[in-house]
Amino acid sequence: MALSRFDRRYLLMGAAGLFVLLVVVYPLWQVFYRSFLDAGVFSLKSYRKVFSHPSYYRALFNSVWVSCATSLLCMLLGTLLAFLVVRTDVPFKRSLRSLLVLPYALPSFFAAISWIQLLGPQGYLARFFLHLSGWEAAPWNIYSAGGIVFVLTVHYFILVFITVAGALERMDASLEEAARASGAGTYRIMKEITLPLVLPAILAGGLLAFIGALANFGIPALLGMRARFFVLTTSIYYALAIPDFGLATALSGMLVAVALVSTALQFGLQKGEGRYTVISGKSVHPSELRLRSMRYPLFVCVALFVLLISILPIVSMVLTALLQYWGAPLRASSFTLHNFAYVAQFETARRAIANSFFLAAGAATASMFVGVTISYLHVKAKLPGSRALDFLATLPYAVPHTVIAIAMILAWSRPPASLYGTLWIILVAYLAVYLPFAVRTTHSTLQQVHNSLEEAARVSGARLFARMRDVIVPLARPGMIAGWVLVFLPALRELTVSILLYTHETETIGVVVYNLQDAGYREIAAALASIVMALLIFGSVAIRRLTGGVAGI
Amino acid sequence: MKKRAFDPAASRKVRSCRRAFLLLIAGAALAFGPDARAQPKAPSRVLLYTSVPQELATQFARAFEKKRPDIKVEIYRAGSTEVGAKLAAEREVGGIRADLLWLADAPIYYELRRRGELLAYVSPESKAIPADLKDPKGFFTAGRLINMIIAVNTELLPLAQAPRSWKEFPDFGKRAVMGNPLYSGSNFVTVAAFVHKDGWGWFERARAKGVAIVRGNSEAASALAGKEFAIAMTLDYIITGLIRKGAPLAIVWPAEGAISVPSPIAILKGTKNPEGAKAFVDYVLSREGQEFLVKQEVIPVRGDVAPPKGQPSAAQIKFLPIPYEWAAENASAIRERFEKIMLQ
Repeated sequence: MALSRFDRRYLLMGAAGLFVLLVVVYPLWQVFYRSFLDAGVFSLKSYRKVFSHPSYYRALFNSVWVSCATSLLCMLLGTLLAFLVVRTDVPFKRSLRSLLVLPYALPSFFAAISWIQLLGPQGYLARFFLHLSGWEAAPWNIYSAGGIVFVLTVHYFILVFITVAGALERMDASLEEAARASGAGTYRIMKEITLPLVLPAILAGGLLAFIGALANFGIPALLGMRARFFVLTTSIYYALAIPDFGLATALSGMLVAVALVSTALQFGLQKGEGRYTVISGKSVHPSELRLRSMRYPLFVCVALFVLLISILPIVSMVLTALLQYWGAPLRASSFTLHNFAYVAQFETARRAIANSFFLAAGAATASMFVGVTISYLHVKAKLPGSRALDFLATLPYAVPHTVIAIAMILAWSRPPASLYGTLWIILVAYLAVYLPFAVRTTHSTLQQVHNSLEEAARVSGARLFARMRDVIVPLARPGMIAGWVLVFLPALRELTVSILLYTHETETIGVVVYNLQDAGYREIAAALASIVMALLIFGSVAIRRLTGGVAGI
Repeated sequence: MKKRAFDPAASRKVRSCRRAFLLLIAGAALAFGPDARAQPKAPSRVLLYTSVPQELATQFARAFEKKRPDIKVEIYRAGSTEVGAKLAAEREVGGIRADLLWLADAPIYYELRRRGELLAYVSPESKAIPADLKDPKGFFTAGRLINMIIAVNTELLPLAQAPRSWKEFPDFGKRAVMGNPLYSGSNFVTVAAFVHKDGWGWFERARAKGVAIVRGNSEAASALAGKEFAIAMTLDYIITGLIRKGAPLAIVWPAEGAISVPSPIAILKGTKNPEGAKAFVDYVLSREGQEFLVKQEVIPVRGDVAPPKGQPSAAQIKFLPIPYEWAAENASAIRERFEKIMLQ
């Protein structure tokens, strides 16, 4: 009896292991061993080049400090907002929450463009500010390291927000109530009960933000150039432009190393058995903190913030879509619906929207199920080797998307598995890219589920599959839904992987937007991005209605 | 999230939602998935990798297919750098998939020719094309001309005060912008032409005066139209497009000569459809094909096709000679020196 149960979990592990092997390990190995080749012979030439060229050192240093700063700001902002939205009685919580998530659906290079349009030297907000203050020049500069950190933070804080909000929702409020009954004040409860309980979620979100910032290309490429500020991802793109394949893979190796160190640090910080088990089977209804007189002042603060980071960039994008050309003066004659009309009859755009919805939903669903399995094996079953599996599944997050795309071409374009040129290779690449999101979000969720629940089910005779179905998955569901959204949104607008893997008829939204933008049709690109944004809002509202608030963005 | 998993009513509801959701996904997979659009193969197809703007490339291919219904052109469009990375990756796994290549990045063709990956084809149409726009053995031939020029935002700078030559360009310091040759093929060709002619002095002066570097030509043009800069070094067709939409921009053809990037078209040696590929090359170079491009504001490569209205013809434009072989041989040295002077 005991033996057969033991075997089944290994079966699960074998399946997850095979998945990770095919989707992550084998493709990345293809790139890795080629970085040691020079004209087919073993060589360390590429690595020597990296370590002998000062501009690559600087890029490494810049990448690290920019990502650290972004991650810290994201943790601060994301936690604060998550707490306000989940645990207080601030009005219009649900809408605030949806609005906060929305800008994550903007492609990151589009986010950068939107912010240039708002805060750049000729930006709408900058001109408004100069008009009000009468100053000669705005006291900020978007084309700077600071500007990069700002836009990255606005783009990635949502990763912390979603993971922390999920954790706060699942938190057992009886702990706080016990503390309150013992006479602890609100501040002390926050510091000694609430914060430690959601710490794993904050750190998990912070790590996602760190590595997201580290691997981001669009934002530093658009904002860093004028400040002559370079990071690893922009250097890798140079190496591909040369094209120096070996150098590009060697630089990617450095990026992976930084990400590995930070992941290992986070693993280390989270040691300790049972510290975070918060869901232990009792009725859990997180209590709402009454804000009383602060209710509306705080609402105004959050609403202003939402206006600034969610609504204005989208308005700026829609405005661009409505203009004859970007930079046209804001008068009636400059506005046109031509760009929208163009997109509507643009066959490629329609096909791209269908492709992207298919890929994003497929990648989100499959990666969440694999993610929850891997997290279960590591966090709950604690089988030998499960830690390594978890680690390997997190690995691709640190690999630049361009390199992942190349890895997929190298791994999956020869018979018997000749996927190159089909939608499937893009799906496999998305699975590799987004598996880490799935693993990390379900990881922190499962850490909060007390072992006793599964034990109880096991003692009652439930088999592995029944336990997964009736205990683990239902308890992890809020985390899984949050994770699904975290995969679906970026996958919908994914660019870097798809641009190398797409072919005739397998275009994605990101590819079409980028190609329009790159050819100088920025207004048409903005119109397409606006239409996608509208579809998302509509779809999210529809799903929420259909599921009675259980799912939806 | 007020619903709990152990509340049986909620649990049923969640389950039915989940079922509905999975059905939705399955439905989407059937409707949009790759199987749904598996079509019977066209009798003959050619695959074109290009950096020609998507819309232009697509329309051009449709015009060709109308003439040759037996051939179907499939297009992969991306920036020159992405196409380069794709070619490099495909080379590693059994060869380049494309039949045709039509990029703005000329040095890449020299590299492909050196590796013996191009098919020599002298099109009967290429007689009408000037000798400096084609490879003598027919490995590649210019398919359209795009020109690096000086663009001016006339709201910020009256045309009379605009620079008339490349030499004056750096004097505009922080009001001037150019694309990065480490990203963009046409900018690389321009830097190579400048350096081969006059050394690095122009760039040292530009750096000292504070000329801005942005990622590529479309970004330079956008920043110019957005009034962040008064003048830009960028490509003529992007500016023409903006002028047509009403932007207050103008083109200056520099006194020393514009840099003409010939955007060559070539056939890959590994093609499985050499006849189809040759037919497409013939159409690109033909009078009809070039006239089609002219309608899209592209400057033609043939002397016997009139340029777009208000644009000079290839014969009227003064061109700065481009040392392609030299640029291809010294590519990494040129990039490194540029980085040292302009980007550090």
